[in-house]
Amino acid sequence: MSVELLQAAADSNRWGAIIPEVSLGCLALLLLVLEMALPRRAHRLIPAVAIVGQLALLVGVLACFNAPYLGTETFNGLLVHTRDGQFMRVFFLLASLLVSLLGAVSLARRQLPRIEFFHIVLVVSAAMMLLAQSNHFVMLFVALETVTVGFYILVSYFRASPLSLEAGLKYLITGALSSGLLLFGIVLLYGVAGNPLLVGSTESGMHFGHLQTFLAANPDHFLASLGIVLVLCGVCFKIGAFPFQIWIPDVYQGAPTPVTAFLAVASKAAGFAILLTLVHTAFAPYAGLVVPTLTVLAALTLIFGNLAALTQHNVKRLIGLSGVSHAGFLLLGVVASLHAGSAASAIGAVQFYLAVYLLASFAVFGVMTQLAPAEDATQELDHYRGLAKRQPFLAFVLAVGLGSLAGIPPLAGFVGKLAIFINAFDAQLYVLLGIAILGVVVSIYYYFGWIRVAFFGESTESETAAATPREGGDGQPCCGCCVTRFVLGLLAAATLVLGFYQGGLGEWFFSR
Amino acid sequence: MLDTLFITFATFALLFALGAVLSPNAINAALCFLLCLVSVAGLFVLLEAYLLAVLLVLVYAGAVVALFLFIIMLLDLKEVSAWKLRGVSALASVAGAGLLVAGVLAVATRGQLDSLPLAAMPALGADLKAYAHALFTTYLLPVQLMGFLLLIAMLGVIVLSKKFTADAAGVAAGDGSAAQANLGAAASTLEEARK
Repeated sequence: MSVELLQAAADSNRWGAIIPEVSLGCLALLLLVLEMALPRRAHRLIPAVAIVGQLALLVGVLACFNAPYLGTETFNGLLVHTRDGQFMRVFFLLASLLVSLLGAVSLARRQLPRIEFFHIVLVVSAAMMLLAQSNHFVMLFVALETVTVGFYILVSYFRASPLSLEAGLKYLITGALSSGLLLFGIVLLYGVAGNPLLVGSTESGMHFGHLQTFLAANPDHFLASLGIVLVLCGVCFKIGAFPFQIWIPDVYQGAPTPVTAFLAVASKAAGFAILLTLVHTAFAPYAGLVVPTLTVLAALTLIFGNLAALTQHNVKRLIGLSGVSHAGFLLLGVVASLHAGSAASAIGAVQFYLAVYLLASFAVFGVMTQLAPAEDATQELDHYRGLAKRQPFLAFVLAVGLGSLAGIPPLAGFVGKLAIFINAFDAQLYVLLGIAILGVVVSIYYYFGWIRVAFFGESTESETAAATPREGGDGQPCCGCCVTRFVLGLLAAATLVLGFYQGGLGEWFFSR
Repeated sequence: MLDTLFITFATFALLFALGAVLSPNAINAALCFLLCLVSVAGLFVLLEAYLLAVLLVLVYAGAVVALFLFIIMLLDLKEVSAWKLRGVSALASVAGAGLLVAGVLAVATRGQLDSLPLAAMPALGADLKAYAHALFTTYLLPVQLMGFLLLIAMLGVIVLSKKFTADAAGVAAGDGSAAQANLGAAASTLEEARK
């Protein structure tokens, strides 16, 4: 490689285009420095620094939403900056902000190291933001591994609890397996694309655009198909689609509640961001293989998630398995986006669904964090018995969140599901649509079972004691709890308002 | 000559890989893994990818396997009793083996595995300089991200293994000293009891 080429390569490393990610990384390092530099009594301020910093970044990204570098590739094609990438940036920032808030509430009650939690959450969300904009398998894999390694630690963070450690071990093993599958697929694709005997072979087979050109020139190549299927399998582990959902119930149950929220919302969204990028760029020439695969996966995921969630009594397992069915609805949207004519609006529908899912999930997880017993993993449905009498506000937020997840008409979840169904109808996916609608009916049963327990269940004395929300661990009424309640109220209000009126936001999502 | 060497190294790699999986003694398994890696490094040398061969021996055979051995000896693992296949796991094993055979057959028959003769292939991965250039120009961002990955991995080890004492985090009472912290905790317990 000549010096000029190297210089050109170095010149395309435009750090200005990834200022949000760089600032998140710096903020994460700042937290560690503050922990070392500040006296111990000032350490309680550090979570506030993390939260305020993320809030400022979120405002900054929103203010510069239509940045000048949109639509360009930077870092030698490792990253591509698009509208979807900007949306995912905002999404991940919002998710990590809410996780930090829940983490502050949850950690205040425990004797555990704190600053490391916020540090890891920040690094993981920066990696997710890069993941959503990656345009190259090397970038994708490194970012994905950073996310996964961060989650290994976060899942087993409550290390005094055997369930948390078990969850960490299970996630480590299944995560390693899925990384192995993904890597094997990537290497097969790279190897095939680099074979000089094939038409259009390229030395940069890791780049999505170049790979797409190569695959278009070689339709129906066996090894390439194998590679694509393996990559899809690796991604499906992350989103928890049916044959790869095996880790979900145990990991969701054992992980600390804020981490469960992070896994359920951000990790799943990251998986869908990669999936959408891959099927619309690199794997687009192999739609004949990708579409049937994803269709079968979507159908199985919808059926399995809803049926498995029916029998759960532990609320974290219930949320985990219902999350599998949400992955099914989102997969339905992805399949719809692969049919000619409806691509753009279906992607918009998937994104709107993700946004609505974030609002509703964090409302539910926020209530769960507030009510969590000392052993975080044992949150049973019975703990919520009679919640409406003891904590009317939390019960209201819970009802709005669960109703939105179930897709009840005046709430935002209904609009999200409706948008996906309309796109699926336009794409003529009638069988999948039928399965999805049956899934909605089943899901109403288990979500409303939870609401019924909270509103109409008679509470006994011991359960009341078990499920009273507790203040900060030091006995003082913490201002963090008031902030959390305020944020929960905001989430519920946003879920309500978006159900009635989408306004400019809906226009942004649906008419592209 | 090359073919003989290839077959030798490939056979060794396969045999030692089987040994690593099947050996009931953990130390034997780790050493089999080491020899398997050395055989694979031999295969890389045959492909003129000297750098990869050296890295494989240095990093995996040298560092990673040594780490395995340390941990095995630290935990003082006894021989694992041979496990028996029953019921569902036997069924799953048969299905998995069947899928594996089908996959290998499919790749062998339909894989279009033809390639240029070795002499005509450019020897990629032989040159350290090319790697260095690529790492510091094209792949600068992943390298930086990798730094963060290693940092959180290190933090994770600390979080999950270091003994944590309450006063080390300055939890209670907003004051550093442990005695005051205990007082604060006691006072708050009293308050809760009164309620």
